[in-house]
Amino acid sequence: MENIGALAILLAFCFAIYALLGSVIGKLTQRPFLIQSGQRAVYTVWLLVTVGAGVLIYSIMQGDYRLAYVWETSNKTMPIQYKFAAWWGGQAGSLLFWSWLLATYSAVVTFQNRRKFREMMPYVIGVMMSVQVFFLILNAFVASPFRLLVAGKGVVDLGDGQGLNPLLQYWTMVIHPPMLYLGYVGFAVPFAFAMGSLITKQPGEEWIKTTRRWTLVTWLFQSCGIVLGSAWAYAVLGWGGYWAWDPVENASLLPWITGTAFLHSVMMQEKKGMMKVWNMVLVSSTFFLCIFGTFLTRSGIVQSVHAFASSPIGQYFVWFLAIGISATVYLLLTRLEFLKSEAQLESVLSRESSFMFNNLVLLASCFSVLWGTLFPVITEFFMNEKISVDKPFFDRVNIPIALFLLLLTGIGPLIAWRRSSFDSLKRAFRWPTILGVSTAVVLMALGMRHVYALISFALCAFVTTTIATEFWKGASAIAAKSGQNLIAAMIELTHRNTRRYGGYLVHVGIVIMFIGYTGAAFNQSKTVELAQGESTQLGPYTIKVVGYEEGEESNQYRWDRVIVDLSKNGEHLSIEKPERRFFIASQTPTTDVALRRRLNEDVYINFAGTGAGNNVVMQTYIFPLVSWIWIGFLVVLFGTLVCLVPDKKKLVFPRMEVVETGVGHVKPAKV
Amino acid sequence: MVILASAVALIVLTVAFTFLIRDTDIPAVAPVSPTHHLEERRAAIYENLRDLQFEYRVGKLSDDDYQQTKLGLQKELAGVLAEMDRMKSTAPARVAQDVVEEPVVPTCPNCGSKFPASMKFCGECGKAMA
Repeated sequence: MENIGALAILLAFCFAIYALLGSVIGKLTQRPFLIQSGQRAVYTVWLLVTVGAGVLIYSIMQGDYRLAYVWETSNKTMPIQYKFAAWWGGQAGSLLFWSWLLATYSAVVTFQNRRKFREMMPYVIGVMMSVQVFFLILNAFVASPFRLLVAGKGVVDLGDGQGLNPLLQYWTMVIHPPMLYLGYVGFAVPFAFAMGSLITKQPGEEWIKTTRRWTLVTWLFQSCGIVLGSAWAYAVLGWGGYWAWDPVENASLLPWITGTAFLHSVMMQEKKGMMKVWNMVLVSSTFFLCIFGTFLTRSGIVQSVHAFASSPIGQYFVWFLAIGISATVYLLLTRLEFLKSEAQLESVLSRESSFMFNNLVLLASCFSVLWGTLFPVITEFFMNEKISVDKPFFDRVNIPIALFLLLLTGIGPLIAWRRSSFDSLKRAFRWPTILGVSTAVVLMALGMRHVYALISFALCAFVTTTIATEFWKGASAIAAKSGQNLIAAMIELTHRNTRRYGGYLVHVGIVIMFIGYTGAAFNQSKTVELAQGESTQLGPYTIKVVGYEEGEESNQYRWDRVIVDLSKNGEHLSIEKPERRFFIASQTPTTDVALRRRLNEDVYINFAGTGAGNNVVMQTYIFPLVSWIWIGFLVVLFGTLVCLVPDKKKLVFPRMEVVETGVGHVKPAKV
Repeated sequence: MVILASAVALIVLTVAFTFLIRDTDIPAVAPVSPTHHLEERRAAIYENLRDLQFEYRVGKLSDDDYQQTKLGLQKELAGVLAEMDRMKSTAPARVAQDVVEEPVVPTCPNCGSKFPASMKFCGECGKAMA
């Protein structure tokens, strides 16, 4: 069976090369048959990679432990969903998953545009297939998932496998990697269209229009992946953090930051034909950062809690990145004339300049994260000594940047496109500023002294007010004209311009998430060793050990747990059971924390181990407002989905004709 | 044996699918007007004008800002329309060939409903189609 899988991947590699060459040569020599055959090859590649992936999944499900990959990532006792997740649980499988997603995207893009973009499509296919060829090289020759562990040794049954890393056997981990990968791989599509447009010097913004939804969906997948990863770290790793600035976490954040910058700056190009070079740079950076992220995750070049094996795969990525970036830079430099802006910035006090600021700040954040992530590699290269920068560095740099971005989120909607006079700005800023400052004053009066927290909450109030005002003003204008009630008018308003108002909803979600992040300023923690019957106090909570249990779960893992009575100000709240697990097949210990989630704060108890006698060691935490992060993300998700809804049909604008070109007068034509 | 047969079948199938292409398999690509990008630009400016009007109505812009921005957009629009006129006049044959190739769909001038065959009266609103 594995032979079929390996053959399918090898054939896919050949057909991907053919698709690349067929499309491009077909276009250059004007041979429609060759172009068509190149397009067909894209579907063939998808079919073959699907066969390869199908064989791997079948082998995992059947427990064919002769295959090294199956033996490393699954075992008999694993539930079926984790067996399926084993597809992307290890190096070779996850690279095959990358390939499969890219093949699927390529096939969908080719099918969707089979009757469009005669000039551009062969090159779009060419770019996508170049990436595909690279990953298929890895799948076929470097990290094959079909390598036999006992080839030629006459062994037919290895009994059982090691199993998936127990830390990854958690529900968010089943979804988190596919989400991130859907995001990573998805950016290949806008990148390919951008390059296709650049190669063929397409006039207009067709590539942006075509890939608008792709970009948004891709960005959403990345966001989902990052937040699911945070939720997993919070609930599983036992230290209560949701973000540790680990290199692999950073790797997922980098393309998200540039992708976010792209989503904003692309509006300038659509609206005014500005920032064309910048958008090309951003979409290319995002794509290459996605590849770079995969490289960081898979090469083991930097130390990470995501303990993936160190492997020689890194050099292939370095070559791919070097060639890809050089080709992109060359294309950009040779086509700068074609990317000239059609308009200029008219005033510093305009929406355009707020977008530019937003882009610069996002870029600064991206650079700081990249610098911090690569610092160990850079120091090792120049000083022969690995020096890592830690969480405090990232926090010190990125918290002010994030707060400034939050401020811009509030300022943007208040400023009109093109220009805003100082007077109208004064009017627009009055209420949001009053509410923002009042929030800070009230919180100070209540005893809050943490500077960043005060700024953050004030900005949250400021941004919320600006967005609420936007909705209220717009809906009132519609309600006054149509006689609808305010809620119906708000829906109508959103439906008329889903991207703008959906975007505002995304900003509301970000504000809610910021409230959650700010809660970290007030975390409390305590590590204690307690005997049965003893208790400890953490803030208003009393944590009392009332029992201890141990057992085994269906031959998969052994567990022991502490029974804890949790009360607040003397009032009993609940019985909590923090647990330790020891996975038998992989001989790996994990923890299953007790987590009492509430809107105001989470109580988090981790059973860390046993001390002298029968004492238990427990790490106890209070994490204020963490739930707001997850709720905020749901709002972000909803807002993004709103952005994806097509706008309500526009009112017909009167047809115009030029009267005096010299002074630029236009008048409605006779209809 | 089964594995070998499957491997051969996989190769034959994929090669046949990729390389056996008939004339009819090549999709007709919709012609693109040479002024397409200008039409897009024009639509974007109309959109900007609509936006501007709405923002003015909700009180986000002063009278002066509104007038200035409107004038700027109209100038831009005039430039785009003039460029479209220039392109159409310099390459009339090409434009006609590329744009007017699409079959004419009978459309009601009153309500805009489209019909597969020409009709005297609109099946939707009842008004005369001619």
